Amino acid sequence: MIFNTFLKETKELMREGRVRIAFFIVVLLLGIAVWISARQYQNVNEQYESATATERGLWDNQGEKNPHSAAHYGTYAFKPKYPLSLVDQGVDKYAGTSIFLEAHKRNEAQFSAATDQTGLARFGDLTPDFILLFIIPLLIVLLGYNSFTKEREMGTLTLLKSQGISNWKWMLGKWTALFLPIFTITLLLFLFAGILLSSLKDFGVFNWGSLFMMLLVFTIYYMIFTNIVLLISAMTKKSGISLVISLCVWIVTCLAAPKAASNIAESKHPYPTRQEFAANVLKDKKEGLDGHNPWSKEAKLLEQEVLKEHGVDSLHQLPFNFDAYRMQKGEEHEAEVYFKHYNYLKDQYTKQSKVYRSLAAISPYLPTRFLSMSIAHTDYATHWDFADAAEEYRIATQKFLNDNFAQNSEYGNWRYQADAEFWKTLPKFEYDPPELNAILSRNSSNLWIMGVWLSASFGFLAISIKKI
Amino acid sequence: MPFRGKRSRKTTTINLLLGFIEPSSGSAFINQLNVHENIKATKRFLAYIPENLMLYPNLTAIENLDYFSGIAGKKLSKSQLVDFLEESGLQSDAFEKRISSFSKGMRQKVGIAIALAKDAKVLLLDEPTSGLDPKASNEFGLLLQKLRTKGVATLMATHDLFRAKEVATHIGIMNGGQLKQELVAADITLQELEKAYLNTMEYKELVL
Repeated sequence: MIFNTFLKETKELMREGRVRIAFFIVVLLLGIAVWISARQYQNVNEQYESATATERGLWDNQGEKNPHSAAHYGTYAFKPKYPLSLVDQGVDKYAGTSIFLEAHKRNEAQFSAATDQTGLARFGDLTPDFILLFIIPLLIVLLGYNSFTKEREMGTLTLLKSQGISNWKWMLGKWTALFLPIFTITLLLFLFAGILLSSLKDFGVFNWGSLFMMLLVFTIYYMIFTNIVLLISAMTKKSGISLVISLCVWIVTCLAAPKAASNIAESKHPYPTRQEFAANVLKDKKEGLDGHNPWSKEAKLLEQEVLKEHGVDSLHQLPFNFDAYRMQKGEEHEAEVYFKHYNYLKDQYTKQSKVYRSLAAISPYLPTRFLSMSIAHTDYATHWDFADAAEEYRIATQKFLNDNFAQNSEYGNWRYQADAEFWKTLPKFEYDPPELNAILSRNSSNLWIMGVWLSASFGFLAISIKKI
Repeated sequence: MPFRGKRSRKTTTINLLLGFIEPSSGSAFINQLNVHENIKATKRFLAYIPENLMLYPNLTAIENLDYFSGIAGKKLSKSQLVDFLEESGLQSDAFEKRISSFSKGMRQKVGIAIALAKDAKVLLLDEPTSGLDPKASNEFGLLLQKLRTKGVATLMATHDLFRAKEVATHIGIMNGGQLKQELVAADITLQELEKAYLNTMEYKELVL
């Protein structure tokens, strides 16, 4: 009976013009979106490769130079584009792609794609995630809104009942007929993406496990939508009403709830403004040691401490260049200040995420979005991770340079120049995004919420079907 | 044994036999089984053709028959399906056509094929001949007589006295939910039947 109903529903769907057109449009859009994203991914990756190589080349070949000058000369940390961003772009467009690493200062990631675009960028791009998250649920609504109401309206319901239909199997047949075409599209897209990504050269950290996990997340998302749409169709008497209610649910779930969630999160745990943030950092920086200023109170204190520690009475008698040592101490203080203030930002961000996560219960869109972005390494948490890694590298680089300065020159010698070969010994910046397991355990609440949505919506559907 | 009379609650009677509504008092029986207590079991014997039989417009006659007999738990081969449609008298060039192009008479033939495929022992018909042209109505009558010879008990609610006299063995006249008269079709003429019908209706008006 399940298979019968599935076959019959599928035949009916395939013979309806609106279904064929809707399917055609969605597949076409997906094809275009994947094609555009794949090209963009390749482009960005090439840029990343060449920028990383060029920047390192500049660093390595800066010639003989004072290490602290090199610290001000600086270098860049580039954020790689991750393969699965092909499927979900996440916040990549708004997050910067490179961080300038220099002495005394922690810089923000710059050069986000959005800043290179006009105001039109606000309207969004045609990306696979847009279609996966918004358009396919809409397709489910369009295909399924009249699944049960049409039987009522056509009058076939009485005949079915007189044939002794089992409501449960009937529903399962309809469910499969609605879900399977959606699943097929999704599966094809992911397969296509997988093949495309594994055929690209230098495809980075792509693994099929993550892709499969993403497929699973979207599959559950569509199952939830299938349940909801069929539930509405089973509970309403008229197709028109069913369509309107389903569309309302779609609007609330996909459009209203996410916006409301970010507004609530933002108003509950606001970020400081850029000016406030900069002023706070400056204030704290001034309270501590400035590596360039030997006459400040903190510098004098440090001087006495170091002299006492080494049991000498003049800075010239120290076995290292005290200027460079002070520079490093100043650097450490500044790093601490940045750490504190960025931690505050991160705290706010974590709190916002918590609000999001608790609001994820109101819309299955939210947990799906978060999971998919996390798995694709395009979420904000990964961006934070990257920024933190870059900062760590910056601190390590400063120490590397200051130590060289301190050990190879004596106090007061600012004319010291490091060897031209020295720069090459600086380790390269490496950033590995979190592993799939770490991502999943970080998102365990989202997984739970999706599970609850799935089972609750299916439970309600099973109950409502008995009353038809 | 057809019933008739406006607002006679004949559809209600059929719905009771189908188990779609609960009886407020008394019970309906099919094959000695109480319908209300054996909703699934009694459905096995039943076939029902509503006044305006609706099938899936985008499916062909064969596909509709296949689906509905599948719901009843029968798995039929293509040739069996074709046989049932032929038996129901549907012209063979319509087998592969979509129902959306079918007339009411043609849809009812598919309905009969569904009943045949189910091997139903009881056939419930609600106004099957209303809206049929005389030829289609005649064909339908012949079909019912053929089913009778196969041992199918038929309950037909109708206003068509002529068709009732033609196909029925027993005729009951219902009014306001009550069976007012029972007649054996072979014992009366069409004129007598009409008179009996009109008398019952007038009786109702007298009461009112």
